[in-house]
Amino acid sequence: MIAYAPYLILLLPLLAAVAIRLFLYPFPRIAVPVSVGACLGSFLGSLMLLNAGTPAGGMAAPAVPWIELAGLKAGFSLVADPLARLMTTTVTGVALLVHIYSLGYLAKDPCRSRFFAELSLFVFSMLGIVFADNLITMFIFWELVGLSSYLLIGFWHQRPAAGAAANKAFLVNRIGDFGFILGILGAWSLFGTISFADLPSRAASGAPFWAATAVGLGLLCGCLGKSAQLPLHVWLPDSMEGPTPVSSLLHAATMVVAGVYMLIRVLPILELSWVTMNTIAWIGAVMTLLPALIACQQNDIKRILAYSTLSEIAYMVMAVGLNIPGPGMYHLVTHAFFKCLLFLAAGSAIHGCHEEQDIWKMGGLRKRMPFTFLVTWVGTLALAAIPPFSGFWSKDAIFAATYDRPGLAACSMAAGFFTSFFMLRMILVAFGGKPRSEGATHAHEGPPAMVVPMLCLAVLSVLGGILPISDFLGMKPDHPHHAWTLWLSLLLAVAGFFPAYHLYQGAMQDPLRVPILQAKFYVDEFYQRGLVAMQDGLGRLADAFEGWVVRGFLVRGSGVAARVAGQGLRLVQCGQVQLYAAVFILGALGVVGWLLGRVSS
Amino acid sequence: MEQFFFWSLAVGLLAAATSVVTLRNPVTNAVCLVVTLVFQAALFITLEATFLAAVQVIVYAGAVMVLFLFVIMLLDVKAEARRPISWPKVAAVLVGAAAVVAGVPKLVAAFPAAREPLRWSAQSSTFGAKELGALLFTSYAPLFLATGVLLLVATIGVVVLCRRDPGS
Amino acid sequence: MMLGEITLGHYLALSTLLFLVGLAGVLLRRSLLIVMMSLELLLNAANLALVAAARFKGIPDPQVAVFFVITVAAAEVAVGLAILVAIFRLKKTTSAEDFASLKF
Repeated sequence: MIAYAPYLILLLPLLAAVAIRLFLYPFPRIAVPVSVGACLGSFLGSLMLLNAGTPAGGMAAPAVPWIELAGLKAGFSLVADPLARLMTTTVTGVALLVHIYSLGYLAKDPCRSRFFAELSLFVFSMLGIVFADNLITMFIFWELVGLSSYLLIGFWHQRPAAGAAANKAFLVNRIGDFGFILGILGAWSLFGTISFADLPSRAASGAPFWAATAVGLGLLCGCLGKSAQLPLHVWLPDSMEGPTPVSSLLHAATMVVAGVYMLIRVLPILELSWVTMNTIAWIGAVMTLLPALIACQQNDIKRILAYSTLSEIAYMVMAVGLNIPGPGMYHLVTHAFFKCLLFLAAGSAIHGCHEEQDIWKMGGLRKRMPFTFLVTWVGTLALAAIPPFSGFWSKDAIFAATYDRPGLAACSMAAGFFTSFFMLRMILVAFGGKPRSEGATHAHEGPPAMVVPMLCLAVLSVLGGILPISDFLGMKPDHPHHAWTLWLSLLLAVAGFFPAYHLYQGAMQDPLRVPILQAKFYVDEFYQRGLVAMQDGLGRLADAFEGWVVRGFLVRGSGVAARVAGQGLRLVQCGQVQLYAAVFILGALGVVGWLLGRVSS
Repeated sequence: MEQFFFWSLAVGLLAAATSVVTLRNPVTNAVCLVVTLVFQAALFITLEATFLAAVQVIVYAGAVMVLFLFVIMLLDVKAEARRPISWPKVAAVLVGAAAVVAGVPKLVAAFPAAREPLRWSAQSSTFGAKELGALLFTSYAPLFLATGVLLLVATIGVVVLCRRDPGS
Repeated sequence: MMLGEITLGHYLALSTLLFLVGLAGVLLRRSLLIVMMSLELLLNAANLALVAAARFKGIPDPQVAVFFVITVAAAEVAVGLAILVAIFRLKKTTSAEDFASLKF
């Protein structure tokens, strides 16, 4: 019975999405509870699955035969190993809280049926990734989360910026997915299997080094796109155009960490090549630092959090690169809690200030929204890795593995410093001081539907550190702790608060102006100038080719030729039916003569 | 016998056919065409195709020609006015005829089978209504049906073509 | 040859000559009525050749073909004459020279 639980968990949200789309669309009063109920069902199923003991030989849901080609066998099967079970519980739990939060957040939106249908579709797709037992199935759900991300970012499609951000997210992800599918094909040709169950044994029997490197980098490409890592990170900050619950669920807690989850799944392949592993580790290390720097100069509360998300995912990527998937997953789970909390709190602040996102136009929310202020502090302390909050334990496990890699340690610990800095800056500017706009003066707490999920997440953010995640996963033992990594990272994290306090306590405008950080290191501009311009040039070239050669010469040319020939042949027409008959007879005689010639020869 | 009938019928056929083509009064032409068709029917008999000879007389010389005569009467077509004779045209026709008379035997002789004599009753190959009917309703039944459709379509077509507009 | 036995070739030659006479009528006569009569000559020439072939081969199939030709010819005459009548109503003439509306 328990073996079918994954199917139940997976299909409930899909059923909800389909039912809403087909039948319940005009009735938000029914559609919304259906979606929330489906998510609740999935969550309860996940809890059941989490508590179920693991039978010998692992536990996988019964397979449905699907693709069976020579050399390629991909059943549609769901895998329910500890990794998947942990991930499922996290996803459905956070998703449930976000569903409930959305009840309050979107209570007045006329299109909330659509929102909840898309949210359910997302939960279905995300669970598909988690349960996928082979790369092909995972890729399909991978694309489905891309689709639901696109739909949800563009939920307020009336806003041009939302449409543009949705397109950007979709297109940038295409690039990563292209590499991903190359990696999948490479893995198939190299190891003869795409099943996660078979990959470790096949990979253990060895493979050519550079081929394995290429495959690993291809798979990494998929992660870079979905998890928004360098150089494909540009879509995530823009995706904040979507509703805040979406930012919270998709673009902070669950979807964007799918890349990390995938990397952990294919770790046996990545391990074959030190080049791949080092690339991953260094991309992770650099990406912890750069977004943390950028976030110091952003003014949009959601963008600040988005950049901090980039930074936190980079910690997980670096953990994969250091071959410590346990702490990586650990951080994934705790990050899901506290980052989701931060986003929900930000959404609460935005909601309270009547859709104002600029922190310089908030201010003084500490008095008017004390609960939001409190949970923001909880999230911040967890994010900044201050003990005993959850973030400290998971980040510390990652730092411990960098003890013999000073470069990585320097980047990631410096990132901790800036994280503390920009988080305190955000709190001081948004919540401290005096209201700086009309909306902030009338700010108020949201309805209970918004408060309760934040409370749950706050509790989890505090206590998340005691979860024995690495043990549950049964993965490689953590690195032994080294005192200096612990103390140094903690010192830097705490140190980050002081300059922020000095600069922003009571500030009415930003005392710091660093153009390169405000411009996000000019990456967007670089893409715009370089890639987009090149593409536009190519487009113009193709347009010219199409216009002159295809349309001008081939299409219009053939038309003109036919018309000229027709005009010429019209001159032959005399209208005399007997002359036509004579010509016809001559033709027939010609044919007869030719046939006779053939017969006689 | 064969020679007598063939040559006399052949000469008659060609003479009548030539009159159809050359004479000016449409009624005369039609009558000459009837004569041509009857000669043709007689030639069918020399080829032991008795049923076809009967069909030829009944359908062609009878029905079709009556149709022609009806139309001639209906349209009240006068004899064509004689045009000035165009000598180059006449010369061309004469040259053409000479070339044809000289060329046709050679053309025919190109077929090796053409030299086989056809004697009467040499083989028992008289095909009457029975044999043709048997073929028509078995092997050629689809064609037969199609012909029926064709005739129906032709009938409808004629009715549509000859209908006067009710308004006019 | 003249006085020799009658061969298949004689019938084929006769058929050819009849065909050419009809062809001359089709090509040279102006009156569309005569042209249609000449068309009948063409069909008859073909019929003659078919029947001779049937006799030569000793099979009835060409005669069936002749049967069909006669049927189709009847349909053709009916439709052709109907067209002729319609044209005559329109133009009060049956001379082929007067129908040159296809001329460019």
